[in-house]
Amino acid sequence: MKDYEVVIGLETHIQLNTQTKIFCSCKADSWEAAPNTNICPVCSGMPGVLPVLNREAVHKGALLAAAMHAEINPVSHFDRKNYFYPDLPKGYQITQFDEPIGKGGYLDLHMPDGVTRRVRIHKLHLEEDAGKTKLDHGLRLVDFNRCGVPLVEMVTEPDLRSAEEASQYLTQLRQLLRWIGVSEADMERGHLRCDANVSIRERGSQVLNTKTEIKNVNSIDAVRQAIIEETKRQIELVEAGGRVVSYTLDWDADTGKLSMMRSKETEADYRYFREPDLLPVVLTEEEITRVKAELPELPLERKARFEADYGLSAYDAEILTSERGLSDYFEAAVASFGGEAKTVSNWMMNDLSRLMNDLGKTASELVLTPALLAEIIRMVEEGKITAATGKSLLRKVEESGREPAQIVEAEGLAVIADSDALREQIQSVLDGAITEVESFRAGKESLLGWFVGQVMRATGGKADPKRTREILLELLRK
Amino acid sequence: MSISKISSELFHKLVGLAALELTAAEGAYLLTEMNHQLSSVNALLQVPLEEGIQPTLHGIQCLGAGPRADAWQPFPTPGEILAGAPETEDGMFAVPDVKGAK
Amino acid sequence: MSLNQLSALEVAARVRAGELSAREALEASLAQIHAVDGQQGSLEQKPLDPSEEQKVHAFIRLTEDLARQQADEIDRKLSAGEDPGMLAGVPVSIKDIFTLQGIETTAASRILWNFKPPYTATSVQKLIDAGALILGKVNLDEFTFGSSSESSAFKPAPNNPWDPSRVPGGSSGGSTASVAAEEVALSLGTDTGGSIRQPAAFCGVVGVKPTYGRVSRYGLMAFSSSLDCPGPIARNVSDAALMLQVIAGNDSKDSTSSVVPTSNYLDALKEGVKGLRVGLSPDYTHLFYPDFETGELAMESIQKEISDSVQHAASVLADLGAEIVENVPLPNAKYGIPTYFVVSRVEAASNLHRFDGVKYGYRTPVEVDDLQDLIRRTRAEGFGSEVKLRILMGMYLSSEGYAANYYQRALKVRAMIRRDFDCAFDPHGEHRLDVILTPTTATTSFKRNDVFGNTVRMQYSDQMTVSANHAGLPAVSVPGGLDADNLPIGIQFIGPDFREDLILRAGYAYEQATLDEAWRSVRPAVLRQEVAK
Repeated sequence: MKDYEVVIGLETHIQLNTQTKIFCSCKADSWEAAPNTNICPVCSGMPGVLPVLNREAVHKGALLAAAMHAEINPVSHFDRKNYFYPDLPKGYQITQFDEPIGKGGYLDLHMPDGVTRRVRIHKLHLEEDAGKTKLDHGLRLVDFNRCGVPLVEMVTEPDLRSAEEASQYLTQLRQLLRWIGVSEADMERGHLRCDANVSIRERGSQVLNTKTEIKNVNSIDAVRQAIIEETKRQIELVEAGGRVVSYTLDWDADTGKLSMMRSKETEADYRYFREPDLLPVVLTEEEITRVKAELPELPLERKARFEADYGLSAYDAEILTSERGLSDYFEAAVASFGGEAKTVSNWMMNDLSRLMNDLGKTASELVLTPALLAEIIRMVEEGKITAATGKSLLRKVEESGREPAQIVEAEGLAVIADSDALREQIQSVLDGAITEVESFRAGKESLLGWFVGQVMRATGGKADPKRTREILLELLRK
Repeated sequence: MSISKISSELFHKLVGLAALELTAAEGAYLLTEMNHQLSSVNALLQVPLEEGIQPTLHGIQCLGAGPRADAWQPFPTPGEILAGAPETEDGMFAVPDVKGAK
Repeated sequence: MSLNQLSALEVAARVRAGELSAREALEASLAQIHAVDGQQGSLEQKPLDPSEEQKVHAFIRLTEDLARQQADEIDRKLSAGEDPGMLAGVPVSIKDIFTLQGIETTAASRILWNFKPPYTATSVQKLIDAGALILGKVNLDEFTFGSSSESSAFKPAPNNPWDPSRVPGGSSGGSTASVAAEEVALSLGTDTGGSIRQPAAFCGVVGVKPTYGRVSRYGLMAFSSSLDCPGPIARNVSDAALMLQVIAGNDSKDSTSSVVPTSNYLDALKEGVKGLRVGLSPDYTHLFYPDFETGELAMESIQKEISDSVQHAASVLADLGAEIVENVPLPNAKYGIPTYFVVSRVEAASNLHRFDGVKYGYRTPVEVDDLQDLIRRTRAEGFGSEVKLRILMGMYLSSEGYAANYYQRALKVRAMIRRDFDCAFDPHGEHRLDVILTPTTATTSFKRNDVFGNTVRMQYSDQMTVSANHAGLPAVSVPGGLDADNLPIGIQFIGPDFREDLILRAGYAYEQATLDEAWRSVRPAVLRQEVAK
């Protein structure tokens, strides 16, 4: 068998998280709404009504263009794409054809093996979403709630070379969309939709062969699997002397199978022309500068900075920059703590992360603010409370919203470092463990840990561990 | 100069694209009229275009209010939109199935 | 003088002064409609009594109940000492292409069967808010596609009140007929290539096509979105100015609606024309009609009486102190119709995509195989021939492989048409015009069925009006005399962007200076008969 490589381009539709639709004042999000309740004459295609552009959709589109290193078009236009389909109530989709909001751009993929793959962006434009239809005993039922939801359609060049890269692209894109706050990017809810164009060629060849388009893939895992399946199918076909035909394929996530939807040999003529109901979208140089300035430090830049400035491991830095809120939390906690960043990182990677998981909260949703976390860590570091107390304080603060110091005070959680009090407690532990004391004195010094444990249990974890050890040794060696 | 005409074949393709159906008589009449109109339209091909002339969409330079604020203003009677439909079921617009679609 | 002959200004003044109740104005208007309008347009082909041949048939639907409520509300406001609005008690008709919430809106098409929009057009709402009485919806060419109102699916189509065997023009033929026949004082029309001005000329009334963006298009069912303009139709210039005052202004529901402030159009009228520079163009003295075989444009002279009226108007204005500037070149105006064939058809085909039998209006009663079949049959049965023709032409001209030659080129020629006007109005240019004076039409009204069916000839009746649409400029047609058959002649003033005040001033000065001319005392035929009865 020849050595083949797969050539992949991804077409994504990104739902912008504006409050309202792109051309009317209905809510953008209809997730909870009953069918056809979040509609108006504009988005349901009634005659005589007119689209009015949502400023925030333009702003978020421009922000995304900036994040993709695309050129923000100072004057972009909307066009009509004409076709009949029952989910398209006007009989045309308002989209951007030849003068879109973004031009060019790329996303650098950092693959786990250390290779960086630059994926160029072929197209980045604003458009309106269509409605939803479903089949019900021979009838097609149409819901217009989703009509007019603002989308960015973003299409890559055929720059991806494996199913892994494709899924990595989507993972990084999803992270980026959430990071810059333009989309919830929830694939299950259709905020991020993906079609994959797949072709194969002999490795080393530069030709682009006939591709097939896989539609209806709505999870990153499904994209990966579908591409693997389709690559396999194409290779087997070509090896058997067949020829790849331009088809649209449908991915069935339940069976893990692809099925042919329709031949794409005859492309529709959409008769694009400028939308006369809208005026050009003009962004002044000043506005473009402002959008760019608004763009936050991006995940990869931040990760590199965390490694360099805070001395974090690549692994820790990656986890802590997986989500913008988490990384902001980390930096705020470090600043508030004032000590070793690594210490904050350890707390966050372990105990805080466990707490967030248990509660199903993101960092920015925590009641336990970065400053409160820093206070807890500081108390541990200063020996005012034990590490165990510190850990238990995380949940107590989160649940009660009270200051850590208050809780320590009220519940008497401070370390018992006072020598007399501690000595008394230790003496009574030793008094109750005559056999073990004798064993220790007979040379079984490994029992020291056991004694520490007993003291901790007796003090409810409040004994200062270092002092306990010192006093224990002193009393045992008497 | 003789001018190009719309062929019967192209005409029928357009009728399909336009989602129309025509009787033979209607089709013959419309094709004749289209070709007559085309003889007027073809005058455009002979217009000496001015150097650097840019296409205009509205003739006038429109001065609109610009994009709107992203503020929710629900339409008060979405139910009336659905109520005007020829056929509905379960709160949805109902149509026969699309041939050849899944 | 009967109440129905009063101007809108006079009616509003009397109502506001408490000398006339809105209810009285309403009943007078209804009585006139019942006397002269005859059977209203309907989708069912009912046999017509021969006497109906002499009727106007302007209306598709009367909205008497709504009008009575409005009248009672105005009378209530008056007695409560509240301001009833600038148009208090003025009877108005609405071209049935504008939506009015809860009232069937037809576009004179079967495809909108039983369509009751849940929203009201902005211009209609402004009329209501100003105290106008909405008497009903008036007939038009189907979807405004025509220049005679004969393509309406609602029969009988309107007749010309000056000669009921002739057309009122179109597409706002029901509007101009209802105003000429004194059924209403004002009507709201639309003008895409001349659809207000051409029927205004044919019916001897005043029709204004405002600057594109001056009046909101919200609620106007689109024909050609980049050209459509709602505008006033009235029996004199002051009434047109009054109505424009009410409907003009920015609308947040129409992105192309302008933020340029409106003027006080009524006050402007009094400023006269002294020192105004009025242009005459040699490019508005002929039609440029294509040879169907060669595509060459051949010159055809316009009706002599019409050119004479334009010359007469120029001399009247000159006597009033205007400067007449002759030989103003507008060389690209002759491409107005070819350009219009392209731009308007491409936009129309797209605008009509939404009529598919899925969401509202007509759906074929025939048992269908699948959705595509449903859409095809619905459109085949729901649209008339002229609509199908425009859709097909639009599909052709914008399809891949043809669009570059036709659509893209037409947009450039449109820019050249605009540039001609820019040069003419340029305050630092050679001509420095304030307004341009032209004929509104090349002929007076034609007989029913004389032109209908010849779609090119029909379209060319907009030759004199269409360039203002391409350029987005304001223009007004005012009555300029009668021809030998006692048919009205229209003359047109075209002005610079947003200078409706200038064209209305010129029209008003001409109107006031010619009030004593003999033709002004001639009444439309349907009103003469009425007197004879």
